[in-house]
Amino acid sequence: MTFAVQTGLFFRRKLLETLRQPVWIITGLTTPALYLALFAPLLRSLDGGPAFPPGQVLDVFVPGVLVLVAFGAGMGAGWPVIWELDSGVLERLRVTPASRLALLLGTVLRDIVMFAVPGAVVTAIAVGFGFHLHWAGLPLLFLLLALLTAACSATSSALGLILKQIGGLAAVVTGVQLPLTLLAGILLPLSLGPVWLRVLGHLNPMFYAVQAARSLAAGSVATGAVALGFLVMGALAALALWWGTRAYQQAMA
Amino acid sequence: MSSTPPPAPASAAVAISGLRKSFRVAGQTIEAVSGIDLTVAPGEIFGLLGPNGAGKTTTLRILTTLLPADGGSAHVAGADVLAEPAVVRRRIGYVSQLGGADKAATGRENLLLTGRLYGLSAADATRRCDQLAQVFDLGQLLTRSVRTFSGGQRRRLEVALGIMHRPRVLFLDEPTTGLDPQNRANLWDQLRGLRAAGTTICLTTHYLDEADQLCDRVAIVDRGRVVALGTPDQLKRRYSADTITVTPDVTASALPALARELADATSAEASVTGNGAIRLTVTDPTPAMAAVFGVLAGRRVNVLAASVGQPSLDDVFLRETGRSLRDAGGPDSGRATGGAAAQEVAA
Repeated sequence: MTFAVQTGLFFRRKLLETLRQPVWIITGLTTPALYLALFAPLLRSLDGGPAFPPGQVLDVFVPGVLVLVAFGAGMGAGWPVIWELDSGVLERLRVTPASRLALLLGTVLRDIVMFAVPGAVVTAIAVGFGFHLHWAGLPLLFLLLALLTAACSATSSALGLILKQIGGLAAVVTGVQLPLTLLAGILLPLSLGPVWLRVLGHLNPMFYAVQAARSLAAGSVATGAVALGFLVMGALAALALWWGTRAYQQAMA
Repeated sequence: MSSTPPPAPASAAVAISGLRKSFRVAGQTIEAVSGIDLTVAPGEIFGLLGPNGAGKTTTLRILTTLLPADGGSAHVAGADVLAEPAVVRRRIGYVSQLGGADKAATGRENLLLTGRLYGLSAADATRRCDQLAQVFDLGQLLTRSVRTFSGGQRRRLEVALGIMHRPRVLFLDEPTTGLDPQNRANLWDQLRGLRAAGTTICLTTHYLDEADQLCDRVAIVDRGRVVALGTPDQLKRRYSADTITVTPDVTASALPALARELADATSAEASVTGNGAIRLTVTDPTPAMAAVFGVLAGRRVNVLAASVGQPSLDDVFLRETGRSLRDAGGPDSGRATGGAAAQEVAA
């Protein structure tokens, strides 16, 4: 009960913080919209080619963009953590009896909102461009990507708490961002690539999220890819939440 | 300090024994706290006085459950800091050097969140928030973003945040650093008010006058150790002496001889200051003053000025560490120090 109340309080605090920074809301919406407007047209010429069944370019591409939105919504969590470390806010909160997991979850839940709202807007826009909606898979798709957001958000918070410096966090986040997204087949399916690339992709947890997302977007709910996706994302989110909570518990000298 | 402290009474607000903490910094082990024993009684304002790097903040961070100690024991508000940090957290308040008010939120949001985290109901938190807004004169500020607060306003909010849940023991880390004299005086009054209401206050400071005027008892800390402990008056009396400064109406060349004569008459040390005065360090100023006037009257020397200076806590620090607190790394070390001791007490 107390834990739920505390989580709610921290969630509200983080949400208010974001709502007072309209810049983040605007970029949160424009980035995926730009992918749709500026990148999707390039794929049109691939329509009917390998990995793109005729008329389904967006059905392959949009789930990838949603994964990108989820990743981006989560990975930004570490920056405010460093600011809160430097300004003594975290130290003050850590002296209260508040649960460390609740503290972490406040940010995680805010980030899930920051994924879900732009994600829904992008999906709606994509429908206008010819994305085929499959209601059976859509809620599960958002649930799956909420797990990815949670994993990214908790990881980013943990990294912020451990690295304690904007420079270090920026280096790590930008360093992993490109290989993770490229090796997940987000923009173009990995099935287009050579064997070694596909093998590397299987080592990337995000690859399973993308595979499951494409299956769910196509309305295929009961597939191995979906099961594997939930398994990998569920485990990843649990691990990241444990790690993030531990980082909050650790002494900060 | 004795190596075997008396067993801390269970009623003590803070009881520390043999507390140790060291850090690894750039391959070197730095002992920040090297065996501190202290007891703080309920309802007192207790000060840890020392230069930067003396181990004050580290001690406070251990007591507030933020940092695990390497050795020794610490009990706060009846609970073991290491074994029962959750219990300690419910019973204490902490205002760090940084303060930690959330600048993106309003004053009210800060207060309400803190109250709720300590388990107050929404209604109780609101009541307490309004009450503290009155005590700390935050009324019109509550709806504003903390980002717009002045330094003094933010400090008041941060102290209010520290006592939202009526803690038994309030810890403050250099609460008045960066405040102007008026805001400092206001905060002192508010802390005295809290003490009057039964709160134990434990603060760190590197200001001599703060330790002297605000604190009931002071531990002077240097290099991770308590070098002196007692009420400010006890410390000053035990470790230093009063000074008599007289300005006789004689030529500068006659001053050294006169100083020697006064020193003999009072069995004290005498020195000639730059502005034509003679300064005597005496143990008991009243008979010494009489002796001084006796000598001067006998020689028919007029007295232009005479004063008795009280000892300061800086004298205590100087005696124990061989350094002045001002020169020991404190932020004031660069300030001019003419007649420092007398000024500090007068300040």
